[in-house]
Amino acid sequence: MYTFKVNGKTVTTEEKKSLLRFLRDDLHLTSVKDGCSQGACGACTVIIDGETCKSCVPTTDKLEGKTIITVEGLSDWESQVYTYAYGEAGAVQCGFCIPGMVICTKALLDKNPDPTEDEIKYALRNNYCRCTGYVKIIAAVKLAAKIMRDSYIPEKGADDWKIGSRVHRLDVEEKVLGYGKYPDDFILEDMCYGSALRSKYPRARVLSIDTTAAKALPGVIGVFTADDIPGENKIGHIKHDQYTLIPVGGLTHYLGDAIALVAAEDLETVEKAKKLIKVEYEVLPAIHNIEEAAAPDAPRVFDEEESNIQAHKYVSRGNAEEAIANAAHVISHHFETPWTEHAFLEPECAVSYMEEDGYVMVISTDQSAYCTFHECSLLLGTDKVRVQNGLVGGGFGGKEDMTVQHHAALITYLTGRSVKVRLTRAESLLIHPKRHSFVMDFTMGCDENGKIMGVKAKVASDTGAFASLGGPVLERACTHAAGPYAYENFEIEGTAYYTNNPPAGAYRGFGVTQTCFATETLLNMMADEIGITPWEIRYRNAIRPGGVLPNGQIVDDSTGLVETLEEVKEEYEEALAAGKPVGLACAMKNAGVGVGLPDWGRVRLIVEDDEKLHIYSGASCIGQGLGTVLVQMIVSNTDLKRDDIVYERSNTWIAPDSGTTSGSRQTLVTGEACRRACEKLMEAKKDGVTLADLKGQEFYGEYLAKTDPLGADVPNPVSHVAYGYATQVCILDPKTGKVEKMLAAHDVGKAVNPLSCEGQIEGGVVMGMGYALREKYEIDENCKPVEKYGALGLFRAHEIPKVRATVVEKPGLKVACGAIGIGEITSIPTAPAVTDAYYRLDGVRRFSLPISGTPYERKG
Amino acid sequence: MMAVKKKFPYRAAVVACKGNCGENKACKYGCIGCGKCVESCKMGAISIGENGVAVVDEDACIACKKCVKECPQQIIHIHECANYIVVQCSNKDKGKAAKEACANSCIGCGICEKTCTAEAIKVVENCAVIDDTVCLSCGMCAVKCSRHAIRDLRGILTD
Repeated sequence: MYTFKVNGKTVTTEEKKSLLRFLRDDLHLTSVKDGCSQGACGACTVIIDGETCKSCVPTTDKLEGKTIITVEGLSDWESQVYTYAYGEAGAVQCGFCIPGMVICTKALLDKNPDPTEDEIKYALRNNYCRCTGYVKIIAAVKLAAKIMRDSYIPEKGADDWKIGSRVHRLDVEEKVLGYGKYPDDFILEDMCYGSALRSKYPRARVLSIDTTAAKALPGVIGVFTADDIPGENKIGHIKHDQYTLIPVGGLTHYLGDAIALVAAEDLETVEKAKKLIKVEYEVLPAIHNIEEAAAPDAPRVFDEEESNIQAHKYVSRGNAEEAIANAAHVISHHFETPWTEHAFLEPECAVSYMEEDGYVMVISTDQSAYCTFHECSLLLGTDKVRVQNGLVGGGFGGKEDMTVQHHAALITYLTGRSVKVRLTRAESLLIHPKRHSFVMDFTMGCDENGKIMGVKAKVASDTGAFASLGGPVLERACTHAAGPYAYENFEIEGTAYYTNNPPAGAYRGFGVTQTCFATETLLNMMADEIGITPWEIRYRNAIRPGGVLPNGQIVDDSTGLVETLEEVKEEYEEALAAGKPVGLACAMKNAGVGVGLPDWGRVRLIVEDDEKLHIYSGASCIGQGLGTVLVQMIVSNTDLKRDDIVYERSNTWIAPDSGTTSGSRQTLVTGEACRRACEKLMEAKKDGVTLADLKGQEFYGEYLAKTDPLGADVPNPVSHVAYGYATQVCILDPKTGKVEKMLAAHDVGKAVNPLSCEGQIEGGVVMGMGYALREKYEIDENCKPVEKYGALGLFRAHEIPKVRATVVEKPGLKVACGAIGIGEITSIPTAPAVTDAYYRLDGVRRFSLPISGTPYERKG
Repeated sequence: MMAVKKKFPYRAAVVACKGNCGENKACKYGCIGCGKCVESCKMGAISIGENGVAVVDEDACIACKKCVKECPQQIIHIHECANYIVVQCSNKDKGKAAKEACANSCIGCGICEKTCTAEAIKVVENCAVIDDTVCLSCGMCAVKCSRHAIRDLRGILTD
C-alpha cells in the first residue's frame, strides 16, 4: 500500500504504476495530459514536494509520503491569475501543453516571485510547446509574476470583441485549468480499448493471419481483420489507397499498416492479445527513397498501381527556357529538404460509442469532422455515423487523415461497445503523414538589374506509403515555387513517388515550405551576383496590386508584400550597418483550397433555449483560435455582445460542412460564411426584435471561394481567392553564431485578433527555425522512423531568439471583412532567411535542410 | 546566504561517485576521500560526507573548477544546476567487475541509453555520460537504473 497526498487529499493505492496513469485513470485528474509517456513533452508535469516532475516518470511505489499538486489543486486565486495572465498574453493555442506550463509557472513563482526572463525560460525548458514558439508563454509567466506580487488582477487589455481587438481567446480558461476535454479525457462507462497490430515489415505479402489464440485470451472482446470490414477497406482523404486493415494476400506498404485490430477490456490485455496474433509474411524488398521508386525495374509499392508515381504536375506559363537563355545572369542549383514530423503535443485518439438510434458516434481530434464522417461511413458501408470534435491538441496538417477514428468506429460497429483507440507516441511518429522530403533542381535567370526573367525547375517528393494529400502538396509546391514576384516565364515539373516509408501529406506550408527554400536561396545568390542586397532584389521584383503573378493571376489591392519589406527595412539596415550577419526571405501563401476545387464555408447560427446565439460550423479549431475569430466576426457584424454568443465545437449533425482546417482557409472561408449568416440575423432583428424573440430560429450562411482550375483557358485565371505575403529576417549574433533575433512581417489583410495573429507568427517562426536548423525525422534502412519525441530536435524555451512578429494590415479583400488566413505562411520563409544569415556569417552556402555547421546542430 | 553573486544559469561542481563501495574500497575509479578538493575550495562548498566521499553544497559552490583540477581521480565535473539528473559513478570497468566494486556502480548496461527520449545519455567506456545540452531532466534514466547510479539531486525521483 502506497500513501501520498494529491491536491491536499491523502490517497492510497496498492498498484504499482506510473504516477501519470494513476492520476488520470484512478483519480480522473485529466488536466495531467499524456503527450508521450517518454519523459519528453512535459504535458504531464506536476509538482512533487515543490519541484516539477513529469508524472510519467515516477511510479506510485516511490511516492510514499510525497505531496503532489496538479492544476486541479490550484487555489482559486492562482486559477484566476494564471487564467488572466495566459489569456492576456495570448499564450494559449491548442492548449495541450498548457497545464504543464502552468505547473512550471507555479513551481517557479512559489520560489522566485520576480524571475528574470532567463530564469523563466529555464523553468519552462523541459516542456515542449509546438504552437506558440514559447514567446507568449514566457510573457504570461512574467505577467503572472507581476500580478502575484501586486496581489491585483487588472482589467483585460481588450474587451469589446470587435474585429481588431486583442481579446482573450474564448478557450483560455478550460485549457489553463485543464477541464476542457480532448478525446483522451473522455472516460465512458463500459469503455474498452482498441489497438492495431502493425506490419512487421515495410513491404511484405501477408500470407496468413491466425487470431485464434488472441481471441481466446480472457478480456479480449474481439480481434478483427480485413474480412470483418462491412464497407470499403481502402479509404483516404482524396485518393482511396489507405488500407484500414491489410487483407490476407495483400501487400504491406509501411511499418504502420494495420494487420489486425484488437479490442479488449483493458490496455494490458490488448497488448498481450496483439502478441498472440500469428502473421505469416513473405518479406519483399522495400523501396526506401525516390531514386529506388523511380528506377525502371523498381518493385511496385502498390499491387494495383502501374508504377510508383503517385502524382505528376506540370505548370508552365510564358517560355522559361528561352527567357533563361537570354538572361544576363543565370544560377542553377540542386536542393534537398527533409521529412518533418508535426510533433503536435496531443497524440491521436478517438473515442466511439453506439448511440441509442444505432448511429456510431466518434469523438475525434482531427482537422475535419466531416472527413472523419465520410471516411468512417465509407469503411462501415453506412451513413449512420456521427462525429464530434473534442478539443484538438494541435494538427499542423498531421491530423487530416484517418489514424484512429476509423478503427474506433469499426470496433464500435462490430461489437456495440464504447471504445478508446489511442496511439502511443511511437505509433504517432510512425503513422500519421509527415511533411514530404523533396529533391529539387532550380534555374533562375535575371537581367543586369536583378529583375527575374524566368525560372525553371524540376522537383520530386517522397509521398511514402499512401497518397494522403501528396498530390495537392506537390501541386502547391509547384504553383508557389515561382515566389511572390512579378515575372512571366515559369516552368516546373513535379513528381510524387510512393515508397515504403511512412506516408507524407499535409504539413503547415503544404509543399511551399520546400520550394520556397530553393527559390529564395537562388534569389539571395542572385542578389550577390548582381551586387545588390537581398532586400533590394525582392523590392525590385515584388508583386504589387494589379500586377500579374507567374501563374497569370492578377492580384488585388490587399497585396502587401512591399509593405512587409518596408516594415523590416529599418531594422534590417541597422543590423547590416552594425556588421551583423543578416538573412532575408519572402513568401506568399494562398488562403483557401483554390485551383477550381469546390471550397465551401458554411455556418449555422441558432438561437437556442438559453436565448443565446450558438455558432455551429463543421470547421475544426485545431488550436489556431477559430472560435474566437467567429465570435469576433459576429460581434462586428451584428449588434450582439460577446456574452450573447456561444461557440460550439465542430460536429456533423448540427454543424454544416465547412471544409477541412487546411490551406489557411478557415478565417477567410468560414469567416465569410459567418459574416453572411450575420446579415440574415440582422435582417431578422430589424425593428427591435431581440434574441429572445428569435428563440428556435436559425440563420445560415454559406460562401463558395470560387477559383479557376489549373490550366484554365482564360487569360488571367484566379487560382486562389487570396494570398498572404511575408518577409522574414534572421539576425545572427556574430560572437555566438546563434540567432539573435527574427523579424517576421506578415500581411494578413485584416487581423481579426492581432494577439492570436502574433501567436501564429511566433509559433510558425520557431517551427520554421527547427526546420532550418535542427529538426530531424530519421528513417532507418528498414523504413523505420525515430520513436522518441525528445530526439526530434524541436526547439526548447531557452533556445528561442527574440521574435518580433508584426501584423501588416492592408485592405482590399472583399470577403471576410478583409481577413486572410495566417496559419501556414508563418513557417515558409524562415528556412531560407536563416540559411542566408549563416552564409553571411561563414561564407558557406547551404542547399539542404537542416543546415549544418551551426551551434544548433545536434552532435552524435 | 551567498557570499558571491552568481551568474545565471547557475553552475556547480558534482562528484561522480556515491561512495557505496563499502569497506573494501574496491573501486579504483571513485572518490578516495583524499580531501584535496576540500582544501582547494575557498567557498567551503565541498566536504567529505558520510561515505567518505566528497559532497558539494550547490548553493555555496561558484563553479570555479579548482576542485575539478585538484581531484586526483578526475571525477569532479561542472554541471548546470538546472540539470539535476546526474550520473554519480565513474567506474569504467566492464559489467561484472564494476558490479563487484560497488553497490551503486554503473555497469554500462545501456538501459538508460535505451530509455532516454532525448538521446542525451550514452555509455562511454562502460559508464553513462549525460549530455547537458540535450537532457530534458525527466529522470527516466534515474528511475530505470537498476544500479541507482543516476541521481536526482533534488531528491524527488531518487534518494
